[in-house]
Amino acid sequence: MSDASRGADGATDADGAPDSDRSRPLRDRVADRLRGRLLTALAVVTSAVLVAAFYYPVGTVLIEAVVVDGVPTLAVFAEVFRDPFYFGEFARLFSGESPLAVARALLGPDRRLGIVGFTAYQAALSTVASVALGLPAAYLLARFEFPGRRTLRSLTIVPFVLPSIMVAVGFVATFGDNGTLNGLLGLLGLPPVDLLFTLEAIVIAHAFYNAPLVARVTTAAWESVDASAVETARSLGAGSVRAFFDVVAPQVYPAVLTGAALTFVFTFGTFPIVLALGGFELATVEVFVYRLVRDLSYAEAAALAIVELVISLGVLLAYLRYEARNTVSSRGVRPLPRKSLFPGAPTAREVLPRLGLAAYAVVAGLVFVAPIASMTLASVTGGDGALTLDHYRFLVDRQRTGAAFQVRPWPAIRNSLTFASAATLLALPMGVVVAVLTTRRYRGRKLVDAAAMAPLAVSGIIVGLGLLRGLVFGVEIAGWRFAATGAVAIVVAHAVAGYPFVVRTVAPGLEGLDRSLIESARALGASRARVIRDVELPLVWPGVVAGAAFAFAISIGEFTATVVLATGADAYTMPVAIERFIGRRLGPATAMGVVLLVVTGLSFVVIERLGGETRGL
Amino acid sequence: MGSEWAPSSADPTADSTGDPPAVELDGVTKRYGDTAAVDDVSLAVREGEFFTLVGPSGCGKTTTLRLIAGFEEPTAGEIRFAGDSVAGVPPEERDVGVVFQNYALFPHMTVGENVGYGLNFADPPEGVSRDERVAELLELVDLPDAADRDPESLSGGQQQRVAMARALAPGPDLLLLDEPMSALDARLRERLRVQVRKIQSELSITTVYVTHDQEEALAISDRVAVMRDGTPEQIAPPRTVYREPSSRFVAEFVGDNNVFAGRVVDVEGGEAGDGGGADDAESNDTPRIAAVDVGGETLRVAVGEGVGVEPGDRLTFCVRPEYLRIDEGESRVLATVESAEFLGETTRVTLDWGGRDLVVRTRDPLSGEVVVGFDPEDAHLIGSDGA
Repeated sequence: MSDASRGADGATDADGAPDSDRSRPLRDRVADRLRGRLLTALAVVTSAVLVAAFYYPVGTVLIEAVVVDGVPTLAVFAEVFRDPFYFGEFARLFSGESPLAVARALLGPDRRLGIVGFTAYQAALSTVASVALGLPAAYLLARFEFPGRRTLRSLTIVPFVLPSIMVAVGFVATFGDNGTLNGLLGLLGLPPVDLLFTLEAIVIAHAFYNAPLVARVTTAAWESVDASAVETARSLGAGSVRAFFDVVAPQVYPAVLTGAALTFVFTFGTFPIVLALGGFELATVEVFVYRLVRDLSYAEAAALAIVELVISLGVLLAYLRYEARNTVSSRGVRPLPRKSLFPGAPTAREVLPRLGLAAYAVVAGLVFVAPIASMTLASVTGGDGALTLDHYRFLVDRQRTGAAFQVRPWPAIRNSLTFASAATLLALPMGVVVAVLTTRRYRGRKLVDAAAMAPLAVSGIIVGLGLLRGLVFGVEIAGWRFAATGAVAIVVAHAVAGYPFVVRTVAPGLEGLDRSLIESARALGASRARVIRDVELPLVWPGVVAGAAFAFAISIGEFTATVVLATGADAYTMPVAIERFIGRRLGPATAMGVVLLVVTGLSFVVIERLGGETRGL
Repeated sequence: MGSEWAPSSADPTADSTGDPPAVELDGVTKRYGDTAAVDDVSLAVREGEFFTLVGPSGCGKTTTLRLIAGFEEPTAGEIRFAGDSVAGVPPEERDVGVVFQNYALFPHMTVGENVGYGLNFADPPEGVSRDERVAELLELVDLPDAADRDPESLSGGQQQRVAMARALAPGPDLLLLDEPMSALDARLRERLRVQVRKIQSELSITTVYVTHDQEEALAISDRVAVMRDGTPEQIAPPRTVYREPSSRFVAEFVGDNNVFAGRVVDVEGGEAGDGGGADDAESNDTPRIAAVDVGGETLRVAVGEGVGVEPGDRLTFCVRPEYLRIDEGESRVLATVESAEFLGETTRVTLDWGGRDLVVRTRDPLSGEVVVGFDPEDAHLIGSDGA
């Protein structure tokens, strides 16, 4: 932050050199005009990247759902809708059966949900699990003081940026037939459980990802409850429980709903977790879109992806409408005081909540720590249960002697780092520009916001497929043939996937900036563009750094689009490598997973060091 | 005394020097959707003048200031600086210094960097380096050693002074102050306003000041515009605004006041109904007096020669608490003491007179029933607006 402001000052000192009085303002004005143009230029480039890397490819894929052999048709959709395989009992509704019969079938014991129904069902279960697992964490973080609270709070962001394929490996290592859970149960003399390829495993893995998200947004809302509001309620006669439900809960539950809505949307479009933990037997829409793409049934894949998109967007839209009506933006002047985690008096009132939290800690440990720990443990455990470095040795051997068509570790690491760096460099300016554009007031701002955020909602498979067929296979424009390499397409896809997070970390800072700071700078003679450089960027710098960290992490962990695009022998990344290993043996996959964990962790540290203190989402 | 009270019909925006005013608003309107925050405002601020916009919240004073600064563009009308329209001129090219209520110091810069920021875009005066200029301004606001400090380490009053120094550093033509003291405590506010006025006079910089505090407005300004619903009700020097409020709103907004409304029963002296007579009441030996029936009592009020008043008209007039005296005055009424606030040098007593509140200031404690009265020339005629 200070570096940036110093840099700015250095530059302005140069501007202010006392050379000639008359030329300087003119030169300044010209420079300012250029800077003003720069913003426009960046906006144009951002739009161009979005169109080239997102709207055009996605459009070409989606259009296949409605244009068959050059003729517009809804036949593909009609087929999808009437297929019980996709829509279960609902398909009968679409085929014209009476709603009553369908309703009866739905209430019956052997109802079929179809893939879409199952996807929604597992998303709903995952949402419930995430909220159930996230709320106690929020309670702990918002209401108690204990050593390491801040660290724990920062750690809640970690699962969100952990590569999903690695988490899947961790879950296999925990819940698999020879996983740590069954090992532990065996030690206790209990029968083994088979969680792998079950709905439970998927739901727990989703909770691993999304419960911290629920916890984060809820904690933030809880911390912004003004203590004096609670005190007022108490002084008016409300007991502590009543005051909680009358004053605290109404301010907290919109945040819980935010977390729940986002969880539903994320888990509705889930891919790597289900692919690794559910297999095709428990396929969700996204997994099945992937399968259709592999089978080259593009039209059906596109139709299914559109159905998925419409449902996701519907939920998001419903939520946004709710949010617009219910957002309380007041920030508590004085947050509620935190209680010590260790009870002062041994009364039931003091001890009970803490006992509950202790029980929660055990569950949380199992869900959040076990997968990572199990993966690490499995990576150094041989088939006979003894400690060994065989799996790492396998990676080294593979690197040394692997054939060209085989997945080798070093190219995966190198590719991941290169792609992530390039994607971050692309995502940062895009994200900052969009953040600037979406925090200004003008007509159509909402539309720009929605258009810029759309990549969050569209299936990664579709983006990957569109890029593959649109950019990698090449497009012909006015007789010229444009084709990007798989690597370029991956970078672009990662940047598109990552930049909304830059927007999300930078925009609140810009939004929260005191308008009079900007106006003061302008009254003092700074142009609008100059104010961005001198005042706004330095003040939102922590958000920019956090955005960079997110973009980097998203890129390193991105699997969905990458697996589609990394068709060549040389463009695979660490997550893709893990997926290829996991198909054969768990050991090397866990070893690769640990490598990925270490590389991701180190990158985060480096980004933090480079940019100063980061701020979470 | 009476001479100062004559209603002034002179246009307060007129400038006799012939130079165009430093700032001129000509029929300026600013609409947000259906509501006009600023509604057809015309006013002129003279070169070097300390001009204050005062009014309750939502009266449009801050919007007016923002229009002058260029943060907003008017929906209709024109703003001119020294005769030149500034339509479409962005704030950074208007040569204005702005101080906000929350000071808006850049938190990522030191105090010195804050004050020097405007010098990136404007040169310091001839022969003065940038650092010298910063030191000079910090000296001016009595913070000579603060250059290397963090703005957040300063008290509110100090931050306000830094904001002032920052606004003045590039040598603006116009200083705009938007409630710069409303976040400070009363005592500090009084001290600072003296300092602000002193600095303004020293630099003789044209200043537009926005406040909701009428006392501050009276204390600090050359002229005051009392605003209501987006329009100035009265633009005049503080004394005139206080003594000769042009409307019931101004009368009640500025200071304590007792406003009466009633029907004229009789007009004595002068020539009733003749508006063509001399304006100067002093030239008449016998002032025109209107007898006004207010709640059954007949109160006698001096009426200027130029004012057409006839029996049957509804009149509104006011008497300041300091002119409402105990057991004295030509028109007297019997009232009951309702409450008293001891203010130190005086006691502010609220009386009930037939359901109306009257306010008087006394030195001695009052209780029970008292007779209060005033002389005709101590009443100021507002008009026939507030029936």
